Amino acid sequence: MAKSASGAACDCEEFYRQVLDAMINADRTKAAAIIERALDCGIPPARVIAEVLDPAIVQLGTLWEGESMSLAQNFIASKIAEDALLRCLPDHEKDRDRKGVAVIGNIEDDFHSLGRRTVGLFLNAAGWQVVDLGNDVPAEQFLEKAREVGARVIGVSAMMQTTAMNIRKLRDLIDGAGEQERIKLAVGGAVFNWRPELVTEVGGDGTTRNAVGADELFTCLQEQARIPERAL
Amino acid sequence: MNSYRRVMNTLGGLPVDRPPVFAVLGAYGAGLTGCDLRTLYCDPAAYLAGQRAVQESYGFDLVLAPFDFSAISEAFGGETVWGGLQTPNVRRYPARTVNEALSLPLPAPSTAARLPVMIEATRGLARCYKEEVPVIAVLPGPGILPALLTGLEQWLETLLFEPEQAARLLDHSSPFLVGLANTLLEAGADCLVFTEGMASAEIAPRGLFADAILSHLTATFGAINGPKVVSSTGGRLNHTLDLIPGLPGVVGAIIGSKDDPAESRRLTPAGFNLIGNLDNLAFASASACEISRLALDRLSAHAPEGHFVLANSGGDLPQNTPAANLKALKESVASYKASPGGNT
Repeated sequence: MAKSASGAACDCEEFYRQVLDAMINADRTKAAAIIERALDCGIPPARVIAEVLDPAIVQLGTLWEGESMSLAQNFIASKIAEDALLRCLPDHEKDRDRKGVAVIGNIEDDFHSLGRRTVGLFLNAAGWQVVDLGNDVPAEQFLEKAREVGARVIGVSAMMQTTAMNIRKLRDLIDGAGEQERIKLAVGGAVFNWRPELVTEVGGDGTTRNAVGADELFTCLQEQARIPERAL
Repeated sequence: MNSYRRVMNTLGGLPVDRPPVFAVLGAYGAGLTGCDLRTLYCDPAAYLAGQRAVQESYGFDLVLAPFDFSAISEAFGGETVWGGLQTPNVRRYPARTVNEALSLPLPAPSTAARLPVMIEATRGLARCYKEEVPVIAVLPGPGILPALLTGLEQWLETLLFEPEQAARLLDHSSPFLVGLANTLLEAGADCLVFTEGMASAEIAPRGLFADAILSHLTATFGAINGPKVVSSTGGRLNHTLDLIPGLPGVVGAIIGSKDDPAESRRLTPAGFNLIGNLDNLAFASASACEISRLALDRLSAHAPEGHFVLANSGGDLPQNTPAANLKALKESVASYKASPGGNT
């Protein structure tokens, strides 16, 4: 096991446990110090992300699934992930597009932005170029923006059942334009956690129970999205 | 026994003919009277007509004053958005930062924006139902009120990373809440419900609520006359429920639909009232039979102890909730009373 300049053990597993503990205890300062110590040990930034930050985020998702995490803890985790990424990848801009472009927003009439913003932070931290359209976004605007920026995944958030039903309009627009194979629709928000069957009702191609799982969902959907033959 | 006596006896631990039952149907009244939601929440007479229609159609044991937090945000300078089928929402918050929020003057409940609608509608309900059906008014809890001024993200960020600044905003906004609450009580509200999102497990961990919010609830509630109920806003409350009963004037809590009833009882002292425990989202999609089954299940768990009001746990039920489901909810208390174990 490597040692830092101060003689402390440099064990990714131990750093992962400490970062997870800081996330659970909503301690952003402590998390930043742990990441700093890991880098100080000489662990390459890519390994810090892959073996410290990433497993902590995955475990956080598991805790959320078990309903033992709150929105505040999830929010802090997203900030910690953002801090860590900026620290580990100072030349972050050049990596921004390495995964693809994601268009996200809250559907028309929905104004509950926190979940969407947290998803944006996690996607960005994972290497996506995120185009965030904000709150109260009409279905037409989602599709136009996705075409404009070449996004193959649109992520739509809704907190309430009434607003979630507005996502159906976007589904119909995508299908009506024959773009269902090229553009995939990720849906999320509190109401989908309470009523998972709503994902199918509004025509979503997939969902994640929390922002932590957004990268995995968007990656999976992007792989499913096919580029039309005429574009090849 | 009328609804007023039934509810008061339940709260006081006295005998009742059956458990009280209630559903949050503020916006629902618009559907019954054929009025649009903007009129409903801007015209006290339209709101009163809606509640009268709800009461005549279903006869629940409480009537509801306007449950419309966008009116509070608007009173501080925010902008409201009017959706077709949902209660009004905040389009733009009054402040972008907590610093900005601290410089906002506190609105006067009797004159600012649509707050007079809340007060007048409460007065109208009290005139109509005084000592027949209790009138309840709903307000944001002291810990979540700042989110109506800055948005939840900004509020959480400040609470988590700048606790002293957050405490300043809690202190700054509290007198407004005290003023509005006491005005609603003077207008005739029999009880105030405070939806305290920060107490819910879905929003904040117990430590954050206990360390940063609880003392502000104590101070604010201490300045408000009349009985109060703390609501989980539909989320789980059991993780903080033991901290609620000691708060000044708090007579009960609206627990979430996912809260274990036995655990809720264990966490609260004898005589403390529990309300709710039914899932909002089930109401629009489930069958009447399913609603009846869920309601009887909750009654079996809670009613033998008394001090229980059967109700949905969150905000307004969707307007497309079938009438049959609301009737099934109402009838469940009679069915329960008639069952072998249903003595109250």
